[in-house]
Amino acid sequence: MRAALVVCLLLGSVGARSESEPVGYSAAGLYNLGNSYARAGKPGMAILNYERASLLSPNDPDVQANLRYVRASAHLPAEVPDTFDRVAGIAAPFWLSWIGVLGLMIVGASVIAAQLSLRHRLVRGAATLLGVSMLGLMFCNALALWPRLHQGVVIAAATPVRVSPVPMGDPLFTLPEGEKVKITAEHEGFALIETRAGRAGWIANSNFAPIVPR
Amino acid sequence: MRLNHIRSILLASLGLLGVFIAAIAFADDPLVYATIQPAQIQLGESAQFTITNLGDGTNPINIPVVSGLKFEIIGRTREVQLINGSTLPSSSIVFRVTPQMAGIFTIPAVTPKAQPLVLQVNGAASGANIPHPSRPAAPIPPPIFSGGSIPKGVHLTDDGSAYVRLSVPKRELYVGESVPVDIEVGMRSGFVASLNGLPKLTNDDFALNSLSRQPERTEKLINGEPFVLLTWRSTLAVIKPGAFSLAAEVPLTVKIRTRPKQESSLDDRFGDPFWQNIFGATVPKDVNVTSPAQELTVHELPAEGRPADFHGAIGTFSIASDVSPVKAEVGDPLTLRMRVTGTGSFDRVDSSMLDHLDQWKTYPPKSSFNTSDPLSFSGMKTFEQPVIASKAGVQELPGLTFSYFDPNTRRYETARSAPLTVSISPALADTRTAPQAPSASLPESEFAAGLRPDHVETTTVSSLIPLYLQPKFLAVPSIVVLAFAAGWVSARRRRGVGDRESATDRIASRAAKRALAQMQGAARAGDAALFFESARTALQSELAARWQLAPEEITTAEVEGRIGAENDIRQVFALADEAKYSGRKLNATDFARWLRIVRGHLMSDKTS
Repeated sequence: MRAALVVCLLLGSVGARSESEPVGYSAAGLYNLGNSYARAGKPGMAILNYERASLLSPNDPDVQANLRYVRASAHLPAEVPDTFDRVAGIAAPFWLSWIGVLGLMIVGASVIAAQLSLRHRLVRGAATLLGVSMLGLMFCNALALWPRLHQGVVIAAATPVRVSPVPMGDPLFTLPEGEKVKITAEHEGFALIETRAGRAGWIANSNFAPIVPR
Repeated sequence: MRLNHIRSILLASLGLLGVFIAAIAFADDPLVYATIQPAQIQLGESAQFTITNLGDGTNPINIPVVSGLKFEIIGRTREVQLINGSTLPSSSIVFRVTPQMAGIFTIPAVTPKAQPLVLQVNGAASGANIPHPSRPAAPIPPPIFSGGSIPKGVHLTDDGSAYVRLSVPKRELYVGESVPVDIEVGMRSGFVASLNGLPKLTNDDFALNSLSRQPERTEKLINGEPFVLLTWRSTLAVIKPGAFSLAAEVPLTVKIRTRPKQESSLDDRFGDPFWQNIFGATVPKDVNVTSPAQELTVHELPAEGRPADFHGAIGTFSIASDVSPVKAEVGDPLTLRMRVTGTGSFDRVDSSMLDHLDQWKTYPPKSSFNTSDPLSFSGMKTFEQPVIASKAGVQELPGLTFSYFDPNTRRYETARSAPLTVSISPALADTRTAPQAPSASLPESEFAAGLRPDHVETTTVSSLIPLYLQPKFLAVPSIVVLAFAAGWVSARRRRGVGDRESATDRIASRAAKRALAQMQGAARAGDAALFFESARTALQSELAARWQLAPEEITTAEVEGRIGAENDIRQVFALADEAKYSGRKLNATDFARWLRIVRGHLMSDKTS
């Protein structure tokens, strides 16, 4: 009982803190921001904000539709999520976090109940399976989102990718605006990126933005 | 008669004079002529120079001597030409002419009335001397300045073939200072066979920097004699202080006369070295021609008033700076340019003045130097440094300072540039406000047409990082895990105590059953001693477990002390002792009654 009370207080404090944050992100706000940038003719910033909105609301059809539309308009290849990503993104990470906690509590309660009584074994087994599934869903979501947490979007047109992290570094190739890249390292205002094609190089931080702001 | 005789003598004299004049006229006909093909070549190529002698070929022909040109005989021909129906034998000597430097060379005429030949040699890598296709192929002879004289303070060599002049613009210098100098070598045409090396200084305390590879070549009449003038330009670097005597020397190969001067006076009157060479009047000799020495005083740089940022630049300089663009976002690279203009030691002009840009992220600058003279003594050095603003707002790049020593004013000077202002806006990726909508006069972008409409704002979260990865949230499952772990441990501990108690009960129950069975066997055998002894042993074990004592400590006195003297257990203990020593006999009814009593004690304890 005492432990449950502590957990409830903690959940309440986390929720209250989220609610009272004066400046924050919302899926609708980011989506609207992406629309604004798209109307202003800035596909890089539009794609960036759509990607951020999809983090908060992965199943919003408007976000996905506008993201696909702007990518296509910017002549960027379409991204088709696989089955794992679709299943892992069945809900927003916010709700999956609490689902995972709930699953953890169900599993814990089942284990304790097994210690206290040998009766209702079938019910306890079903509850344990349900809790493990809820936990697994959260872990799958984390696994699916992990690469996106280390990705960025090119927000400048014809961004030069250089051999070294200095403005005078020789350019290797250029990236189109809106391209998603993997960020592997950072050094004094530059980031070492890797494209989907496997090409790597350094680009200035001012030319791209991480999907998850640091 | 006498008059006729005199008239005859006059006529004869006139006839002889006419024959003499005709002979002279015939003698001036060009029996020897020369050609050169081609008249214009590149440095590294060779031309063919041919001297043709129309006649019996008895006139000896020697190799011409021109400074900077190397003549080699590559063939001789002899043939008969048909001119106006009469045959005329001719002989030719073919030379290969290889230039040793670029320039315009005049090959002396082979006869006094013939024109000298001109060979133009263009520099191999320079396109400046390449003629325009529309121009005529024949080169323009270099200008010959008449009326010149030997420069003041300069003297010819003993044979009058050459001189060297070192021109230093000032007599007082400073250590580290560089001054432009000219080294002029005058070579009398036909008297100097070759130039054997570059000029050098006679004092090791000085150094010549940026000595031009190709000297400027001109021709000049000095004291009525044709001279070829070669002028090298360089900068004189001063290494240490003191008073020095400085001169320049040049290695030459000159033609030395082999006949007495009085015998060659006729050649001098002809003035043409070609005719001197024809008769083999000179031999080559290597000599070092030295310029007159100049006295120079070199001072140390003054220690007084030396600025902290002085890095050895000596000369006269000014600086200017600019930055572009003047509007940028946070993180955008800007280019700060600093230009140093003037004359002096530009190799000591460095970028250390750019080291004081606090609050700016800087990268190593790159420099370029545009010189206005081949010695790199004057010009403009430009430094370009990328800088990145780390915060938004109107930022100021501080003015730059550059300190140098001015040898004219003899003191240290500091040049300054004005501070620069740039406007830095926040980075686009950091903004959470919508961009400015396109103006009404401009259409919306191509992306606007297919967009789905905006949404209504909902609740916000503080971070885009998934909640399960945020540290403050991770405390929740951690506490849940700890709480359930504690509950599990507690439940398991509670279950462990119950298990231990039931096991004890099972053991005690089995012992009681064994004791009861033993008592029943004794009853059937009529053995009262064994019956009560078994009963006492079973009760001792039971009471020992209940009172936390050893079974042997459960004596009659202990039982009386704890539960009193009037009870069945005390009687069982007493009957056991009595039956053991008295041999008392019991009937079946007594056995059954005591068996029921003992069972009742043993079994009631298990259920209580």
